Amino acid sequence: MIDVNLQLTLAARYLNGRKLRTFLTTLAVVFGVLVIFGMNIILPTMLAALQANVMGTEGMVDFSITHISSEPFPQSVADKLQGVDGVRVYSPSLTRTINIPADFYDKDANKTDNVTVLSLMGVIPEQARSVRSYTIVEGRYLTADDSASALISRTLADAIKVNVGDTFRIPSVDGTTELTIVGILPAQIFGGNETVMVNLPEAQIITNEPGKVNVIDINTETTALEERRAEVTKNIETALGNDYQVGTLLTGSEMFASLRLGQAMFSVFGVMALFMGGFIIFNTFRTIVAERRRDIGMLRALGANRRTIIGMILAEGFLQGILGTCIGLTLGYLMAAGIINFIGPFMSSFINLNMGAPVVSPLLLIGSIFLGVGVTVVAGLIPALSASKVTPLEALRPSAAETQFNQRTGFGFAGGVVIIVLTVIAILTGQPALIIPGGFLFLLGLVLLAPTLVRPVALVFGRVIGSLYARQGIGELAQGNVTRQPSRVAVTASTSMLALAVIVAMGGMVSSLTGVLFDLVRFNLGSDYLFVPPSIALWGSNVATTPEFANQLKAVDGVEAVSTLRYSSAISNGQAISLLGIDPVSYPAVSGFYFQDSLYADDDAAYASLTEGRNMLVNGSLMATLGKQVGDTIEIVTPDGTLQYRIVAMGTDMLNAKVTTGFISQTNLQNDFGVTDDVFIQLNLKKNADRAAADKTIRALAEKYPTFKVVIGTEYYESLNSQMNAAFSGMYALFLLLALPSLIAMLNTLTISVIERTREIGMIRAAGGTRKQIRTMIVAEALLLAAIGTAFGILGGLYLGYVIVVAMKGIFPLGYVFPTNGILAGILIGLLFGVFAALIPARQAARMNVVEALRYE
Amino acid sequence: MSNIQVEKLTKTYGSGTTAVVALDHVNVTIRESEFVAIMGPSGCGKSTLLHLLGGLDKPSEGHVIIGGHNLSDLNDDQLTELRRRKIGFVFQFFNLIPVLNALENAALPITLDGVKPAEAKAKATEWLTKFGLADRLVNRPDQLSGGQQQRVAIARALVADPELILADEPTGNLDTRSSDEIASLLRDVSKQYKRTVVMVTHDPRIAAYADRIIFLKDGKVVDETLLERKNGKAADFVAGKVKEFGD
Repeated sequence: MIDVNLQLTLAARYLNGRKLRTFLTTLAVVFGVLVIFGMNIILPTMLAALQANVMGTEGMVDFSITHISSEPFPQSVADKLQGVDGVRVYSPSLTRTINIPADFYDKDANKTDNVTVLSLMGVIPEQARSVRSYTIVEGRYLTADDSASALISRTLADAIKVNVGDTFRIPSVDGTTELTIVGILPAQIFGGNETVMVNLPEAQIITNEPGKVNVIDINTETTALEERRAEVTKNIETALGNDYQVGTLLTGSEMFASLRLGQAMFSVFGVMALFMGGFIIFNTFRTIVAERRRDIGMLRALGANRRTIIGMILAEGFLQGILGTCIGLTLGYLMAAGIINFIGPFMSSFINLNMGAPVVSPLLLIGSIFLGVGVTVVAGLIPALSASKVTPLEALRPSAAETQFNQRTGFGFAGGVVIIVLTVIAILTGQPALIIPGGFLFLLGLVLLAPTLVRPVALVFGRVIGSLYARQGIGELAQGNVTRQPSRVAVTASTSMLALAVIVAMGGMVSSLTGVLFDLVRFNLGSDYLFVPPSIALWGSNVATTPEFANQLKAVDGVEAVSTLRYSSAISNGQAISLLGIDPVSYPAVSGFYFQDSLYADDDAAYASLTEGRNMLVNGSLMATLGKQVGDTIEIVTPDGTLQYRIVAMGTDMLNAKVTTGFISQTNLQNDFGVTDDVFIQLNLKKNADRAAADKTIRALAEKYPTFKVVIGTEYYESLNSQMNAAFSGMYALFLLLALPSLIAMLNTLTISVIERTREIGMIRAAGGTRKQIRTMIVAEALLLAAIGTAFGILGGLYLGYVIVVAMKGIFPLGYVFPTNGILAGILIGLLFGVFAALIPARQAARMNVVEALRYE
Repeated sequence: MSNIQVEKLTKTYGSGTTAVVALDHVNVTIRESEFVAIMGPSGCGKSTLLHLLGGLDKPSEGHVIIGGHNLSDLNDDQLTELRRRKIGFVFQFFNLIPVLNALENAALPITLDGVKPAEAKAKATEWLTKFGLADRLVNRPDQLSGGQQQRVAIARALVADPELILADEPTGNLDTRSSDEIASLLRDVSKQYKRTVVMVTHDPRIAAYADRIIFLKDGKVVDETLLERKNGKAADFVAGKVKEFGD
């Protein structure tokens, strides 16, 4: 214990004694923790918002039964629960989330909408009251005779300024439905879906689901015995069959898979940042040990054992880890809150998702603390072990800056060569399973080779630097300073390499992605008119409309073609998927599928195949999620049984890229899933149409269907473009953030290098070197460091860029584009950072007092 | 503890044709509470002898026996413990920990040995007070003069109550007045506090404070002289000896 006290005291004093170095090293930890913690708040917050938005209401019931496809099922299924042992009462209901179009209630575009989503609950009143109690604060409860009547919450009533006896409207398949308020339920404590309770037949009409329900709430006999509860659960499952599950509705869950993938990508990003932070800390501790050899030797001479020395170094790491982690957590939270605030409007307008406050899971908090402190301590472990090997005699020898002149070609070099060769072979195999991990291993290989490659690379770039600064007389000096510490330079270059590799790779990805995306937007959404529901891609949360609207549009003078999308959710292989019904003739005429792989030679044949049997076009997300290939068959669970569909082609469309989606014919969607209503409509006018007249008629028709917002194609395209540009700007900012550790690493290395060479710098000044020459020398060294890191970074980025293309293949059609933009960005950032990193150390070195510098120990 | 016995002590660096014999079968006996100075020209092996006496290095041949313990029989941990409890070191460049104050530096050996902080600081305070540093306890090394720093170092060397003090050029970095103060202090350590003190020095004036001088040349003992102080010309005598054996 006393030993620990001494170690912590020494650690704290040393940290305090070198404030700048402590600051720089702690910054590395801060950054890593900030990225991990902050990035992993964003997606859970989105998930929480998604779940709050689309999940059905739960109450104080023992069980809720839904179909595994989350789709409505015949009301008669509920009757199977009659007489089931342990079931006391049950209540079938049809519960649907209804997205409310913008300005639906207040009709004022300048005001923020108070109500953006409702939860429509169709119940059999007496059965509903038998499973759950409903307090009526005003008016009365529903009766079985009520029609076009509703109970609403006090919060909803206040929001849309209605009371008992008033009518209000909600979107429905026929456009809108007017309901009279017969009673008011208590105010909702938590925000989210406001409930509108109607009679079951009313809900079935509103949503065009005749005779259907999607939830059965059950209350069982009261029992605390786990065994009896399990028995009752089994009885219920036996009565209903395998296609029903105990659980709640999960509309929109097809998006969860994509969000989870996004979460994984963010985690990788964060781990890379912390890894880089670890490099910086390792570099710093190595220098600390070198600087303190005499102190360490003296401690050993006085009787400190090796354990004490190791503990002293690790204690410093521990303290820095704690400090850096605390600051990183705080800044990470603020960063996440800022990003959530930034993307909020985008989420709200595109998928009608209201992002709430940042969600922080206890596991994330603990994990971030563990990683932040752990990486710092582990990064200091090797230097600590090295310190413990310092002999007492070191205390008696004069100190000197360490120099390494021998070429380092040991185990690390051999390992690096082997890894590089294997990763290059991986590319040649064309196997994603090998290529993707190969990308990261390639970077590891470069890190292992770095100490050996530093000298020859420095010699090459050094000649350039040397010739640039020849007249100042410091070119060779700068080159020599870099090459005499290849290990330290290698660590700095590795940190820069990681950051710049990501920039080069991502830069290339963004270039090709923007090109593809913008093309796709024009291709998919370039129709003359679009009729857009409140939430795109989360189709299940919108109220659809009957085909009557589309038929009316087709009849408008001047309209050439109308294409509609119809939606059903389904389960395949335990995964939630989205099924969209298209008309194989009108869909390609107005929009289109971007084919990447097909059983057919041309697109028309692929579309036509949808009318023959049960064929399906799928997007990459579905293929990746289910692990299928074109030509495979998949099983889909429907309320009427399990069906087999064959995948005839793979591609993508702009609207559903991130959601596991399959496209089938609208005929099959009707026959197999009972869906006939439209969730999205696109329309093209004839070339010679009277556009003004057609526009007037179209808008007049659309007024009866306020679920859809009428958008001119070109306007939609422009709006999407600017939103995508904003998103990409955010991505560029993220990349720049990732490059920050390289700046810290260079700053760290240069600062330490200046401190170590104090006496030498004093000597140069004493011999007649000017302050300007000293400054220039440091800047030249920085440029050399940056050049080395950038060179490695470009190599790493080229491989990583290819990895990204391979990884994205399953989700988005990205062809490999040589990342010229990324390379240019990498060079610019690398060299600029080099110059920035040199500013403070150069100034410090130039301002040194000559006499004090010569006396420095 | 008793005497220190050095028997046929040899230290060779390198091997074959490039081998350098720093010490060549040296035999020395140092009595309890004796103050011995080791002198000789540069490269004669005096510092090597000191390092071997303190267990900082291992001999190529021969033994160092301190208090009945043959240092060659001790492993690294045992040597470490010996240095912590039985031997105190005073270095030329003071080697104080820059981030600890005078009191903490002086208490360091016994803190490392697990003594409670309060007790360690009390002992260190006692020694620092004896050496006239009572008002400098909380000053860091950079706030102390060279002489003051070396006094802290001597207090540190004594705090664990060792029987042997090894001083390697303790006045090498000090001015004349401070040097005399330190040398006098070391003599008091020997005579007043009854510790054995072995000091390496090249300064005849400082060596004159010792009881006996051992002269080394080319790794061998070439002379041992007891010093007499009655006529106050010990320094001149030593200087003469140094001239005789080269510097």
